[in-house]
Amino acid sequence: MISPAAQYDFLKGYFTPEYSAEYIFGENTALRQYWDSFLQSFAQLGEEEILSRSQDMSRFLKENGVTYHIYGHPSGLNRTWNLDIIPFLIDEKDWNIIESGLSQRAILFDLILKDIYGEQKLIKEGILPMEIVYCHRGFLRECVGIQQPGTHNLVIYSADMAKSKDGSIWVLNDRTQAPSGSGYALENRMAMARIVPELFNGLKVKRLSPYYNAMRNALINIAPHNNPQPRIVILTPGSNNETYFEHSFLSSYLGFTLVQGDDLMVKDNFVWLKTLGGLEKVDVIVRRVDDVYCDPLELKEDSQLGIPGLLQVARCGNVSIANPLGSSVIENPGLLPFLPAIAEYFLGEPLILPTIASWWCGQEKELQYVLDHLSTLVIKRIYRESFTRTSIDATLLDAKNLAELKERIKTQPHLYVAQEKVDFAVTPSLVNGKIEPCHALFRSFAVSNQDGYKVMAGGLTRTTLDKENMVISNQLGGFSKDTWVLSGEDSNTVNIKKEQEQGSTVASPVYQSNVLPSRNAENLYWVGRYAERVLGNARFQRTVMQYVEEANRAFMDNDMALKQCLLSSLTRYTHTYPGFTTDDIEKKVQEPWEELGSILFDSSRTGSLGYNLDSFIRSVHSVRDYWSTDTWRVLREMEDAWQLASSAKHKGHYKMLSAVDAIITSMMAFISLNRESISRDQGWTLLDTGRKIEQSLLLISMLQTTLISKQEDMVEYILQEAVLKSNESLVNYRFKYRAHLQLSLVLDLMLLDPNNPRSLMYQLERLKAYVSGLPKMHSDHSLAEHERLALEALTTLRLANKDELCKADTATNRYEELEIFLGKMYKILFSISDVVSKTYFKHAQAQRQLFR
Amino acid sequence: MEYQITHITEYEYEQPIGLCHNTARLALRDTTDQQCKRTTVQVSPQPDQINEYLDFFGNKVIYFAIQREHKNLKVTVQSIVEKKPISGIPLNLYTDIPWTDVRLQLHEKGAAHLEARQYIHHTDFTRPDEEIHRYALQSFTAGRSMYDATKDLMQRIFYDFDFTQGFTTVSTPLTEVMKTRKGVCQDFAHLAIACIRSMGLPARYVSGYIETIPPKGQEKLFGVDASHAWFSVYIPNTGWIDFDPTNNIIPGAQHITIGWGRDYADVTPLKGVILASGKHALQVSVDVRRLG
Repeated sequence: MISPAAQYDFLKGYFTPEYSAEYIFGENTALRQYWDSFLQSFAQLGEEEILSRSQDMSRFLKENGVTYHIYGHPSGLNRTWNLDIIPFLIDEKDWNIIESGLSQRAILFDLILKDIYGEQKLIKEGILPMEIVYCHRGFLRECVGIQQPGTHNLVIYSADMAKSKDGSIWVLNDRTQAPSGSGYALENRMAMARIVPELFNGLKVKRLSPYYNAMRNALINIAPHNNPQPRIVILTPGSNNETYFEHSFLSSYLGFTLVQGDDLMVKDNFVWLKTLGGLEKVDVIVRRVDDVYCDPLELKEDSQLGIPGLLQVARCGNVSIANPLGSSVIENPGLLPFLPAIAEYFLGEPLILPTIASWWCGQEKELQYVLDHLSTLVIKRIYRESFTRTSIDATLLDAKNLAELKERIKTQPHLYVAQEKVDFAVTPSLVNGKIEPCHALFRSFAVSNQDGYKVMAGGLTRTTLDKENMVISNQLGGFSKDTWVLSGEDSNTVNIKKEQEQGSTVASPVYQSNVLPSRNAENLYWVGRYAERVLGNARFQRTVMQYVEEANRAFMDNDMALKQCLLSSLTRYTHTYPGFTTDDIEKKVQEPWEELGSILFDSSRTGSLGYNLDSFIRSVHSVRDYWSTDTWRVLREMEDAWQLASSAKHKGHYKMLSAVDAIITSMMAFISLNRESISRDQGWTLLDTGRKIEQSLLLISMLQTTLISKQEDMVEYILQEAVLKSNESLVNYRFKYRAHLQLSLVLDLMLLDPNNPRSLMYQLERLKAYVSGLPKMHSDHSLAEHERLALEALTTLRLANKDELCKADTATNRYEELEIFLGKMYKILFSISDVVSKTYFKHAQAQRQLFR
Repeated sequence: MEYQITHITEYEYEQPIGLCHNTARLALRDTTDQQCKRTTVQVSPQPDQINEYLDFFGNKVIYFAIQREHKNLKVTVQSIVEKKPISGIPLNLYTDIPWTDVRLQLHEKGAAHLEARQYIHHTDFTRPDEEIHRYALQSFTAGRSMYDATKDLMQRIFYDFDFTQGFTTVSTPLTEVMKTRKGVCQDFAHLAIACIRSMGLPARYVSGYIETIPPKGQEKLFGVDASHAWFSVYIPNTGWIDFDPTNNIIPGAQHITIGWGRDYADVTPLKGVILASGKHALQVSVDVRRLG
């Protein structure tokens, strides 16, 4: 047992007896100095405060929506990002090596990329074996010869690095396809600066923002035809992608529109963004979709993530892509054994960051060596195959797996590279309240910057508790750390305030008109519809449950008939058939709570509250950058509370009611927050259009299901009361009419009263105004179809004769006039929704291959 | 000898479509024994955008997009080509290079055979399995010349496999063709290529046309020909030699080349992406006619 060195006595509580402070903090004296300074602040906070700040940190990240998706994991969607409160420290000396090393490597990889898609001198002159390029899936022959403006073809470069026990820094992976992590790095810094600003005391930490400014400039510089105000978009595979948070985060931080493949289209040899108001030309695409998925016409044919014809536009020089299509060919471990020679050939200098000893198995001698020493090596394929690991640590394999690996290498030796296994140093991490050593992998980024590259002074560090395995990936879990590059001088170091504000204050020459991609328009429309649907269903079900409870207690004469009416109305209103509409309804009405629980919580059941809530949450997530932090907090709380309620084992009546209450309160908060705090013209017009259409449809549907068939007076009375109650209009009724409930007055209040914010008249007047505010597709003065329909709905309602509607047909025992009227209104409203979708949500067209 | 080739492709859509992007590899490239004199491409409706360029393998590509609503698409490509009799070297000069020597020479370092070397490694369409490799081994026996081994392979495919239209599609895996011994010209070309590549030797896929001769005394009908495919192998100091396993012949004047690549995917005659949800129907007719 080793006790921590005396100098760290003040941290006693943090150490486990297994590790010495020397082991954890390393022997690098320069770094130790910084650690001492950091640990002073750390200890000053105290154990309790550290614990509470860690929790604050988790909450902060969760509220900001920082997530990372894990594929194939039941709770994998939107796993919250884990951030260690102890950062990864890099001293100035190491940093100088890393910065110049990465910059050199980026320049070198750019030259390799240009050569592969140009003259191929490396291959012709025998410096690089042909197979390493030609057998790599990322070598896209369709991209040969495409020229893009700007000094460098490789706009963004990223590398994973680690420090070995002897203190040297090694590059483990090069990332050139669509490097991820820069957004997480910035978010980590923001979280640290916000939650634990004290820890920065006495340390000069370099700022990250210069990197993003350089990135913005780099993207402007590659714009076609020297356009000084290019439109730049970020192309994402969509909200199910593992790093979607980052795409959306970078989009709002940098001010570039976030798009998916079908938001864009190719026409006249240009790329266009489909917006609510028409097509807008796109100049630069920041690509977060793998290159083979980007053009189903010439690359992967069944891709639904790309833009058909994109390569034609790139070939014409009318769009620039960062990184260009085809750049994944240099994300290629096969290059590593040849890198020193390539550096010598192109730059006439040795690599600043050395490469780990590597052997390409495509050569006979090397293959033999690798087979002979396999159990001491790490094996990599030259290209990644989706979802399989590229790296195999052969030192961890048993005899059987080793033999299998040997066979695989022997069948296709040219696809494998072997690397020496390096012993990596550890870094301190806070694990369950204790400071423990962890392996760390540190990723940084370089972006094209005039003649050279600008390296991010920091990056994303990921750690693993697994002592044996150096394979670290977010897919496998683990923690992330903020990365602090420490500097002796004052300039350009963290000013916490500045770092946070940077995103919004950078003067940007990027062209930004107020465009709304039509996909976002559609999603906002559905957010509006689902928000109201959840609210409407929750209110009605609450009312029904309250009556069922009361009827049980009050022993009313008609309680069976009443309960039957209410419960079957609920089934029809929520479309949760068969529910309370079956023949054995009497039995079900006796014991309704199980079914009521299912209509609430069974989210696999179409029409249930849980189902609609899921749809709502999905729509909200697909337009995530439209919501403020406050709105996110409301949403998280709503989700958490609902999760808790629906997973509770015992679901008493009271608990069900209070779960519904909570949903109603949160949803009201969501709606009013959006009203109060945000104005994004077209988007909100659509959200409100959706809300008004849904509110109108729900109101009509409620009247249809409760009031159409004639009942005994007492039952009818209570049904009318229930309608008013679940529309929050009962008080209003009493105040206004000072009379007993009667159908004609109920209809007056709920249909015709323009001053009742719950009436159909009120909804339709607003709906008419909203749809008139949608962009015009024609320049003449005639009404668009949806405008005409809104006017028709409003006029039909205005012309309605209340007294006629209240006449019951004695033969059928139904209010037939009312039924016909409501049916007609429902149909018109439904058409409005249809026409709005067809006119404005154009991306929704399916794309397919012609067969041949 | 001059030929006129007329290749008509017609699509009919159930629903009108507003946008389509297409690439056609239907214009003939020049080779050692053919010279394309003229190509006319007619697309109806008139495309809004046409780009022409050469692809990585040097084939001629025509991209076109139609940006207005249309219910059918007709692509007519007419070419006039002159086939020259092969002036080349008599066969016996290279027939005796053993295939093992070819393999050795190709794997030597340096720029000498770079162009050919890219055709050694298998692709998705030409992925061999054990059975395919064993099939290849029967032709590529010790000491045999490259030429003889390839010719033997061509012959065996011709005799062992049934030409059966409609049995396979573009996506039928080669292993299935091997197992059932049925297929069409693309399948046989892919199979031969997979066999040759499994021996570590280069082979490429050739897309083109073949002139069909009507039975004696009958007039040739328009449109009875079809697009055709065969393969080609590389022999150092000689170049590429074509083999047609579907007809068991060494292609000559009756074979007209459009272009080549590693497999069908590199030289698909016509492909496209449309924005539509309905079905569509396809009709193709090819006519290869001697001029004078």
